[in-house]
Amino acid sequence: MARVPIIEIAGLLVVTVQEELHDRDALRLQEELTDRLERTGSRGVLLDLSGVETVDSFLGRLLTEIAQGARLMGAHTVVVGIQPSVAITLVELGLELQGISTALNAARGLSRLRHLLAAEGGRGRT
Amino acid sequence: MIAQPRPDQEPAPQQATILEEQRRTIRELQTPVIQVWQGILALPIIGSLDTARAQDMNEALLDMIVQTSSEIVILDITGVPLIDTAIAKHLLETVAAARLLGAEALIVGMSTRTALTLVHLGLDLSGVTTRTTLAKGLELAFRRLGLEVVPRARANPDAAFADAGDI
Repeated sequence: MARVPIIEIAGLLVVTVQEELHDRDALRLQEELTDRLERTGSRGVLLDLSGVETVDSFLGRLLTEIAQGARLMGAHTVVVGIQPSVAITLVELGLELQGISTALNAARGLSRLRHLLAAEGGRGRT
Repeated sequence: MIAQPRPDQEPAPQQATILEEQRRTIRELQTPVIQVWQGILALPIIGSLDTARAQDMNEALLDMIVQTSSEIVILDITGVPLIDTAIAKHLLETVAAARLLGAEALIVGMSTRTALTLVHLGLDLSGVTTRTTLAKGLELAFRRLGLEVVPRARANPDAAFADAGDI
């Protein structure tokens, strides 16, 4: 059982999944993240999946749900570090994470998140 | 990988080498991923696109996106004679997979016939940016990356003058 750390940096929440995400951990992450968004009022979530090498339909759907939940809490989500094999699996499962922003790595994701927040006219809480 | 020659009719060693080379060449020809600029990849698709080929293409492309940190992928379908539902589906899958890695895919080489076929087939390409030629796609890619191609004299008159002195 891996506990996924949620780190708050400069008003953004950074979630780094370092190993395979099992169903129960993923559900707990969803709950914790939504809870943290409520408490911190963060406007952006960076979800780093570079440590994930396999994905199934459950996790694929949950990623979409996490992003949708974050949006309801007023935050943008950018998913970064998706591995090629994971991307292929997601597309084959028909889970194209539509409506979720993506970026190659954390650095790019961060600038994308800033861009999204700036486009909205506001700034992340610092 | 490569099919082993059957022991009962094993080709001559020289012939086997040639066969293997040819197979490798064909496989490489099928999925060339070209880096046309820093951050821009091009994928010229020639001929038809079956599932196996589309998978190879996807894998090669996604690996290359990671290797080169590319943000734009240009899928050139100039060389695809006829688009059908299956090929269009493969193309859309490639676009979706590239997007998951944070890269935007542009489909270029759209001919009148292809465009009409796609419309007739009722395929939704509303989420995909398309252009008629590779040149236009490249121009768009440059713009997305904040680059601009301008005549040298206009960009930097001093540089043009210095070069003229060299000749």
